[in-house]
Amino acid sequence: MRSILAAVCLLAPAAFAQDSQAELIQKLLSRIDSLEKRVAELEQSKGGAPAVAQVPAATPVPAATPLPAATPLTAQSTPPATLHDHDAVPAPPANEETLPSYPFLKIAGFADVDFAASNLHGPNGGFGAQTMLNQHSGFQEGQFVLHFTSALSSKVTVFSELSLTARSDAGTGSPPATGFNAEVERLIIRYDVNDFFKVSFGRYHTPINYWNTAFHHGAWLQTTISRPEMTQFGGSFLPVHFVGSLVEGAAPAGGLNFNYNVGVGNGRGQVISRDGDFGDINNSRAVLVNLFVKPDFLYGLRIGGSFYHDQLNPLTAPAAEEWIQSGHVVWAKETPEFIAEFANVTHKPNSGGVTSNSQAGYVQTAYRLPIAKKMFKPYFRWEYIHVPQSDVIFRNAVPTFSGSTAGIRYDITNFAAFKAEYRNYQRRALPSVYGVFLQTSFTF
Amino acid sequence: MTLLNRRKFMVSALATLGVLPATAAAADVAIVVRPDTPVDSLSLGDLRRVFLGDRQFWSSNLRVTLLVRAPGAHERDVVLNTVYQMSEAQYRQYWIAKVFRAEASSAPKVVYSNEMAVELASSMPGALAFVDASMVPKSLKVLKINGVLPGDSKYPLK
Repeated sequence: MRSILAAVCLLAPAAFAQDSQAELIQKLLSRIDSLEKRVAELEQSKGGAPAVAQVPAATPVPAATPLPAATPLTAQSTPPATLHDHDAVPAPPANEETLPSYPFLKIAGFADVDFAASNLHGPNGGFGAQTMLNQHSGFQEGQFVLHFTSALSSKVTVFSELSLTARSDAGTGSPPATGFNAEVERLIIRYDVNDFFKVSFGRYHTPINYWNTAFHHGAWLQTTISRPEMTQFGGSFLPVHFVGSLVEGAAPAGGLNFNYNVGVGNGRGQVISRDGDFGDINNSRAVLVNLFVKPDFLYGLRIGGSFYHDQLNPLTAPAAEEWIQSGHVVWAKETPEFIAEFANVTHKPNSGGVTSNSQAGYVQTAYRLPIAKKMFKPYFRWEYIHVPQSDVIFRNAVPTFSGSTAGIRYDITNFAAFKAEYRNYQRRALPSVYGVFLQTSFTF
Repeated sequence: MTLLNRRKFMVSALATLGVLPATAAAADVAIVVRPDTPVDSLSLGDLRRVFLGDRQFWSSNLRVTLLVRAPGAHERDVVLNTVYQMSEAQYRQYWIAKVFRAEASSAPKVVYSNEMAVELASSMPGALAFVDASMVPKSLKVLKINGVLPGDSKYPLK
C-alpha cells in the first residue's frame, strides 16, 4: 500500500512543490503506519486472521481496501421487548448470540383522545359509535389499543390486537357495567412457507376492502379522525371481522406485484355487525377472495378487488344469502394521497322475495404541504351509503346518507398527530347533521 | 474519530489533491449479502420489494434480514431517496404500519456504522445491508442493481 501510494504521489500534479509533497507523503505514510499498527492490535485482540478484501479487478467497484477493524460493538444481551424496533440495536454478531431466540415478543400501542360537537339532537340513525355522532358535545376517550407480535420461529408468528373502548352504559345494570369494553380485535397465528404461500388461523380484520386491513384500530395511522362509515367499527355494511383461516401470498408477476388472500370462516353472527367468535350460527361457511396489484412502474399505486359470500341468519331479519363485491384504487403517497373504494352488497332472502343491492363508497384525498417542515396535511373525503327500502337485512341497521369531511392533520412528532375536521351528513328522511371533531392520536 | 472515519478522511483528502480518483471519495452505496445468499442481481423494483418487506424470503429456507443504517448516515439517505422514496417520518410510519398490519414480524434492524453493517451481514444468514461501496470487504457479495455494479455511471444508488 505504501509503495502504491508513493508511486501515485509521484504522478501527482506538478503544481505541488516538491518539498510540500514530500512532507505530505511523509505525513500520510506516518498516518498509515499508525493505523496499520492499530489494526494489527485490534485483530490480535480478536484472535482471528483478518479478512482482507480484494474485489475482483473485473468489477467496476472501486478497488477495495482492507476493511478497518470493526469498531467494537457494544456487548448486549438479547434486546428487550421494544416498541418500533426500527430504532432498536440488533443483537451482537457473535456467532450463536446472533441467532434469534424465540419467542420474541414485541408490544406497540395506539390511542386517541377526541372531542365532538354536532347539531344532532336525537338518535344518529345507525352510525357506528366511533363516528362520534353523539347527542351531546364533549370529550371522548377513544380506543386504547395494544398490539402484540411474537415470532415463534423464523416461519411462525403470532399477531394480536387488544382494544379497550369506553362504554356508554358504564356503571349501569346489575352488576354494574364496566367502564371499558375489552375486545380481542385480532389474534392470528401464521405459518410463512415462503412469499407465495402463507397460511394462518384466527380472528382477522376481514380483507374485503383496503381501509379495513390498512389501518385497523390505529387512528394515528389513518389521515382522518374517523373511518369511512362503510367500514366503521360497530357498523354493519361490511363484515369488519372474520374468524377462520386465510391463505395469502405475493408474486412479482412481471413487476405487477400480485397479492392474494383466500379465506374461509364463520361469517357474520346473529348480530350482523359481529362475527362468529364463539362459533358459526349455521353450517355454511363464509368465503372470500381478495386480489390486488402494486405495479413497479407506478410505485405507490394499488388496485384491487374482493368477493365475499355468506349465509346470514340475523336475529331481527329473515335468513338470506349475502354476496359482496368491492374494489379499490389507492395512491399510497402523500403528495397527493388518494383512496377510493366501492362495495356492493347483495341480499337474497332464503324464503324468496326481492333480491336487493346496497352500495357504499368513498373518495378521500390529502396532500402533505411542503411548508412548516411538512407537518400539515389537509384532507377531504366524500362518502355515501345507499340502502334500498327492499333490503330487509340493512334497512334498520345501516344509515343511508351522503357526507363530506374536510380537515387538517398536524403531525406534532413522528409518532403523534392532531387532527381537526368538519363533517356534514345528508341523511335520508332525517335532518342533516354537521359538526366539528378534534382528535389527538399517537403510537407508543 | 473512528478508524473508518479517519480512512474516509484520508481518501477524501487524497482525492481532493488529485492523488486518488474522485470515485473513491464519492463512493456509491453497495448492496451486500453473504456469498451463500442465492441472489446476484436485482432490479430496482426487486430491491424495493425487499426493502419494503414485500419480499421476505430469498428461498423457502432463508428469510431476508434487513440491516438499515441509523438516521443521519449518507447511505440511509440514498436508500430513502432512491428506493423507498420516503421521508424519514414516512419511513418510520411505513414500518410501524407494516408490523401493525401483520405483514411483517419486525422492522429492519438498525446498524450504526458501515463496520457494524458489514460484520452483521457477514454473520447473519440472509442478511442484506447497504454500505459505502469503498468499504466492501472480501467476505461479502455485492449485488448488481439493474444489471450494474457500484462505480458504473448507470448505478442507481448514488
